[in-house]
Amino acid sequence: MAVLGRPPWRRLGACWGWWGGRAAALQQRQPPWRLKSTNPFTREQEQEWRRRNRTVLMYVAAAAVGMIGASYAAVPLYRLYCQTTGLGGSTVAGHASDQIETMVPVKDRIIKVTFNADVHASLHWNFRPQQTEIYVVPGETALAFYKAKNPTDKPVIGISTYNVVPFAAGQYFNKIQCFCFEEQRLNPQEEVDMPIFFFIDPEFAEDPKMAKVDVITLSYTFFEAKGGHKLPVPGYN
Amino acid sequence: MSTAMNFGTKSFQPRPPDKGSFPLDHFGECKAFKEKFLKCLRDNNFENTLCRNESKEYLECRMERPQIKNLSSRRSLRSLEL
Repeated sequence: MAVLGRPPWRRLGACWGWWGGRAAALQQRQPPWRLKSTNPFTREQEQEWRRRNRTVLMYVAAAAVGMIGASYAAVPLYRLYCQTTGLGGSTVAGHASDQIETMVPVKDRIIKVTFNADVHASLHWNFRPQQTEIYVVPGETALAFYKAKNPTDKPVIGISTYNVVPFAAGQYFNKIQCFCFEEQRLNPQEEVDMPIFFFIDPEFAEDPKMAKVDVITLSYTFFEAKGGHKLPVPGYN
Repeated sequence: MSTAMNFGTKSFQPRPPDKGSFPLDHFGECKAFKEKFLKCLRDNNFENTLCRNESKEYLECRMERPQIKNLSSRRSLRSLEL
């Protein structure tokens, strides 16, 4: 039968006479871009709809690409915003080192600074503070000591970083000189005193968020340094 | 450092020291001054205000070492004279 030679979608109307023939013609598959309507009046409407659909698709695609671009641009823009407004704990301009000589201690606010020392597991040093606490006032420079000993019989290079708790008080904690962020080499069986010269900014006393803060903990952690590496100093460059 | 992924809470930003790193006293030349300072702290119940002279002496001892000719830290040393 000739029906079997036709493609499957054209076999529908076979053997059903005139009605079957009409049904087959209606259900013949068209290539997808041909308009559905055969009537000339509805054909124009369909073309209008198709044009509108294409326009909407273009707008939506442009919005999606715009969103992706905005998410990439947000990183440097936010950084600029933080630096100008000083939010997020980034350093505010005005912590000039000249003010060290001219700053006035706020005598009625006594703050206890406690010291903590930590060592990374792979570094076999004895590292500890030489005083457990010290009472300072904002605006007054203070000196504190840590001690480190290398009990092994090989020279070891260590590098340290620090942490201040509570975090928000860290922006007022200024170190004039310390031993952090630089490689420190200890020879075998060598013991050395490590001083920190610091002060707490006088603006600490005026910050309402710091009104309840009486204890600040300064914590240093030593890590083993592979010699020759130049670590980037923290902060935005 | 805060390890929790808290979006929006302030995290701690360590800052390098203003005048740089202290060259360490590997030869123990100023150890006597340090001991005096720590003894003063222990006697005065760890109050910093009462021991400023001793800390000034320690820093002067470190400053006069030939390898530390650091003029900018001499200025901060002047703050102890207040």
